[in-house]
Amino acid sequence: MFWRLVAQLLRGSRGRLAVAIIAIVSGAAVISALLNLDLGVQNKLTQEFRTLGANVVISPASGAPAQSSGAEVPTLMPSGDVLQALRQLPSAQVAAAAPYLYIVARSQNIPLVVAGTWLDQAQKLDPTWKLEGNWVASREDDSHCLVGRNVARRLHLAPGNSVQLHYMDRSVQCGVAGIVDAGDTDDNQIFASLRAVQSLANLPGQIGLAQISVAGTTQVVAGYARLLATVLPQYQVRPIRQVAEAEGALLGRIRLLIVSMVLLILILTALCVLATMAALAMERRKDVGLMKSLGGSISRIVGIFLAEVGVLGAAGGLLGTALGAALSYWMGLRVFGTAIAPRWEVLPATVALMIVVTLTGALPLRMLGNVKPAEILRGE
Amino acid sequence: MATLVQVENLRKEFGNVRALDGVSFRVDAGEWIAIMGPSGSGKTTLINILGGLDTPSTGQAIVDGTDVARLDEGGLTRFRAEKIGFIFQQFHLVPYLTALENVMLAQYFHSTTDEKEAQRSLERVGLGDRIEHLPSRLSGGEQQRVAVARALINHPKLILADEPTGNLDEANEEIVLSLLRELHREGHTILMVTHAATIGRLADRRIEFAHGRLLQAAAASLKPELA
Repeated sequence: MFWRLVAQLLRGSRGRLAVAIIAIVSGAAVISALLNLDLGVQNKLTQEFRTLGANVVISPASGAPAQSSGAEVPTLMPSGDVLQALRQLPSAQVAAAAPYLYIVARSQNIPLVVAGTWLDQAQKLDPTWKLEGNWVASREDDSHCLVGRNVARRLHLAPGNSVQLHYMDRSVQCGVAGIVDAGDTDDNQIFASLRAVQSLANLPGQIGLAQISVAGTTQVVAGYARLLATVLPQYQVRPIRQVAEAEGALLGRIRLLIVSMVLLILILTALCVLATMAALAMERRKDVGLMKSLGGSISRIVGIFLAEVGVLGAAGGLLGTALGAALSYWMGLRVFGTAIAPRWEVLPATVALMIVVTLTGALPLRMLGNVKPAEILRGE
Repeated sequence: MATLVQVENLRKEFGNVRALDGVSFRVDAGEWIAIMGPSGSGKTTLINILGGLDTPSTGQAIVDGTDVARLDEGGLTRFRAEKIGFIFQQFHLVPYLTALENVMLAQYFHSTTDEKEAQRSLERVGLGDRIEHLPSRLSGGEQQRVAVARALINHPKLILADEPTGNLDEANEEIVLSLLRELHREGHTILMVTHAATIGRLADRRIEFAHGRLLQAAAASLKPELA
């Protein structure tokens, strides 16, 4: 009988409750969309920041003795140590990794910074690069190189040309696969095969640093760097702070905005339900007086009304969550250019919030406890 | 016959207005009493106190051994559910519940619902084919018959009827009165407020009120216990 009464109450007051339902569904839709965005944005932003490239750098500890066999070579470390450490840690978190050996060589008598690296990783570690020509697909390819835009202009190089690099009494030639437009100091460098540069500098197995792109949140990146530092205590392992902090700060601001909006919407929804329930409570004074005269206790009577409100909140929450999923999908496309998939945990959270809000909005029902049946039945 | 209702020196004041002023009388189980008097004489106040809808200022109102004046809110609620069946002049049905559900509502507040019993109760008052109708689709007489079925569903000790035919036409008035006669024959105790002398004469006894007091003449003939 309880649920039969609740159903009849909902049916009997559907006109009056329509306003509250619209408020609850709208509130739930926006809250669900915001929660989806909050959870989705974290993933998306992490992915977006990953496009900024490497976020962990391994370099020789400051003050380490130089291991150069010639001039103009900075502090070095054996590539074997680094590669072995990377193999020990979970590879699933590593999106890309490459060792680097920087030397200053000469071409056409002009000093140039030449970076020896795994060219097949360049696109992943430096995804913002614009390239004219082709990427080098294999790290085993020693005959091709990528040339920075400024170097290409100075040496009059274009894809398909060759460039001769001299270092002390050794030299190597490579074909220009592509011209790099990085918009930073990379434009002043030539990127060649690690093996070729090591050979040119006569530094087999030596590197100057390693860059890693770790997939995950700021915390994941920092955690991976800490783990790596324990495996490589003799070297300096550090996350690239600017990216991590920018990511954290932006996520923090977005979260603050979303939480503020969710709170505001919850308050507005509660106020709307409150207004509807206040009117409804006045309308139902006669029914409550009658129910009391029939022997209904106020707790039992108000229990029926609260269940009605709870059903309203749950139904509004469910419908709103579905609409919110669609809204977040659309907003994801508009803002981030990719769809944000609905998160299952948003459903119970939204429905629970809506039930709490509607029950809060049902506070005017408390006044029904003061209804005197004799007065109501007299028509007062 | 055992005494079902015993009223002793009952007073009820609303501010400076004295609605009941030292009323005393007894009603035996199975009696049909007509409470009569002009408007404002205290009839409805008396019914409300006996039904546990209101509390007296002083005095006793004992129904089936329970002094209503001593009950708290929870006690009054149980008292109304278990011992009283109300029939109101304005019918007072819940508008969004069907005839059947209105009857079951009283069952729900009493203990548990029994749809078949509620259905039988409506069949008894001639509404077997109207059980799924909302009050708005029932005539005044039909609504009052639903109220009668609702009043009887929990087998109350005392039926309190406040102007039960006051809003009915002649034909429906006769239907409702015949129902009350039938209930009386079955041994129900009925206290009925009415203005109409013709209806009052159907009762076993009449109690006449004026200005919150029992009228001496009528009271003498009814063997009241005056304070």
